Amino acid sequence: MKATNFIAAFMLLGLSVMVLSGTWYLPYWADFAPGSAFAPFWVAMIGVVLAVSLFVATLFDDSGEPHSFPDRRGIVRVTALMAGLWLMVLLIPLIGFVTAGILFSLYLLIGIERRPLAPSLLTTAVVTGLVYGVFIAWLGISLPAGPFGI
Amino acid sequence: MDALASLAHGFSIALTPTNLLFVFIGVTLGQLIGALPGIGPSAGMALLLPITFGLDPVTALVMLSGIMYGGMYGGTLTSVLVNVPGEAASVMTAVDGNQLARQGRAGQALAASAIGSFLAGIGAVTALVFLTPALSAFALSFSAPEYFLLALLGITATASLGTGSAIKAMIGATLGLMIALVGTDPIQGTSRLTFGSLDLLEGIDFLPVAIGVFGIAEILVSMEQTQAGHVVRTRLKDMWLTRKDWLECRMAMLRGGVIGFFIGLMPGAGPTVAALLAYVVEKKASPHPEKFGHGALDGVAAAESANNSAAHGAMIPMLALGIPGSASTAVLLAALVLLGIRPGPMLLTEQADLVWGLIASMFIGNVMLLIMNLPLAPLFASILRIPYAYLVPGILIVSLVGAYAISLSLFNVGLTLFFGMVGYLMIRADIPRAPLVLAVVLAPLMESSLRQSLMLSEGSPGIFVQRPLSAVLALLVILSLALPLFNFLLARRAARRAGVAEALSHSSD
Repeated sequence: MKATNFIAAFMLLGLSVMVLSGTWYLPYWADFAPGSAFAPFWVAMIGVVLAVSLFVATLFDDSGEPHSFPDRRGIVRVTALMAGLWLMVLLIPLIGFVTAGILFSLYLLIGIERRPLAPSLLTTAVVTGLVYGVFIAWLGISLPAGPFGI
Repeated sequence: MDALASLAHGFSIALTPTNLLFVFIGVTLGQLIGALPGIGPSAGMALLLPITFGLDPVTALVMLSGIMYGGMYGGTLTSVLVNVPGEAASVMTAVDGNQLARQGRAGQALAASAIGSFLAGIGAVTALVFLTPALSAFALSFSAPEYFLLALLGITATASLGTGSAIKAMIGATLGLMIALVGTDPIQGTSRLTFGSLDLLEGIDFLPVAIGVFGIAEILVSMEQTQAGHVVRTRLKDMWLTRKDWLECRMAMLRGGVIGFFIGLMPGAGPTVAALLAYVVEKKASPHPEKFGHGALDGVAAAESANNSAAHGAMIPMLALGIPGSASTAVLLAALVLLGIRPGPMLLTEQADLVWGLIASMFIGNVMLLIMNLPLAPLFASILRIPYAYLVPGILIVSLVGAYAISLSLFNVGLTLFFGMVGYLMIRADIPRAPLVLAVVLAPLMESSLRQSLMLSEGSPGIFVQRPLSAVLALLVILSLALPLFNFLLARRAARRAGVAEALSHSSD
């Protein structure tokens, strides 16, 4: 857990510096009231204090608690799912939301979960019907369509 | 009497066929979401919030709140039958509930949970009927400093009353504040932290954050391993309490309900803390503390009564002050804003139909849940046998369509995935996510009231202690920040004493 905490502390420190530098050009105090940089300045300061506190607390922590990240197989499954989701988002403008969703569902069930074909097709059909019925037919939301018109 | 007349009016709204149907849909979804390991009520509410866009506000809110307290009931099933808490507040139920199931007493554990949850829920809603108008009337005297301090207390209390590291809880809240800073400054209209992106000019919507941090992140965690749990079978005839069981549990239900209600009222504590505290108190009060951890029916009853009571109690600050006390009520508050309703002390007078209809729906929803969890519990238990893998594509695709539906923009879908990754890393780094979501919801109120206060006082921070009420709130904020430090020092002292005692025992050997 120590390494995870150190990384978290550094990331928070980085974010705090980003907030400070991203609002540096804005006024801290306007004529009679706090300016646009007032809140970002204090939030960034709190971030710096917490990052340093976590760093110091971890440095003196001798509990030896192990990290909670999964094993190699778990990381591969999570990464494969995340890659599939991002690919789906990139495909939506090209092939439409519903088609991209169908492909993603099949990729997840057959490709990652190694489930049998028939229940995977049935699940995909139910999910597609649910999305179509609730969001398109009932709520009238126009989802991006692809070359097949869906 | 005014409250009772308003409640009667609320029942006339909640009992319309449409609202009744959506209470039923809400509690059924809540029951299912609570039962599914890996997705809690807050995640479920965030995921399903987009489908309420076409609904009347009262209908939308009765459904969403149904998911919230339905989740408290549903979490019991997985805890008792699979030994995996369906949601965080059922952790203590899993400890004793599953032990009871292994001893062939799953039915009694489920019945004690359902009856305890029902009685505590009804008690908490009754208290809500009388306390909400009183608190709302009191809050009308609040001005900008009090609002700033109240919102700040909502965040700092999450850190001090939470179950994990206070520093990490505060880090979660700070990340939420950073997210809320992105966009256009609410007072001066200048763009902040948008880095030239036009999509970020209007700020980051609450829903992509909530869906990502709760929904997607929890699915990612569940994907780490193939889900396989052994479901204990239960029979319909077991689903009742004997006279002996009832005598064993009744005081536990009462104590759990009272503890849960007061914990629920506190900003930041929520049902998980309530269940933990009620379990610990019950262990001390029980005539057979040795049974705790090995199948104590009163332990199950206390924890389940407390978490349902806390879920209802958390509605009071949300409805009366517009300050959410838990992640679930933060989602409910965001739903109010998305439906075009301004939360705050005026809500009760400006939207009386909505508030009283919502309160009345909770009485109805709790009755429905009692039926679902006594005679129909085996039916819901059979749903646990559907492999979780078949539910994941549906949850993910509905989440992303929901994120798209907010502003019909794919940018929000990308943001949802980004926050899903952030939420996953937060879970693995043991940083709680509820403070982040609370901070995103409370940040606009906090910033505008802070700047208004300093504008009024011409920059003097003395305005935060000028009025007695603000001084009390400021003191509570300081106490909530000092409490974790105090606990840390106490723990160190205890550890040092234990070390000395051990050294002495070794020297005497």
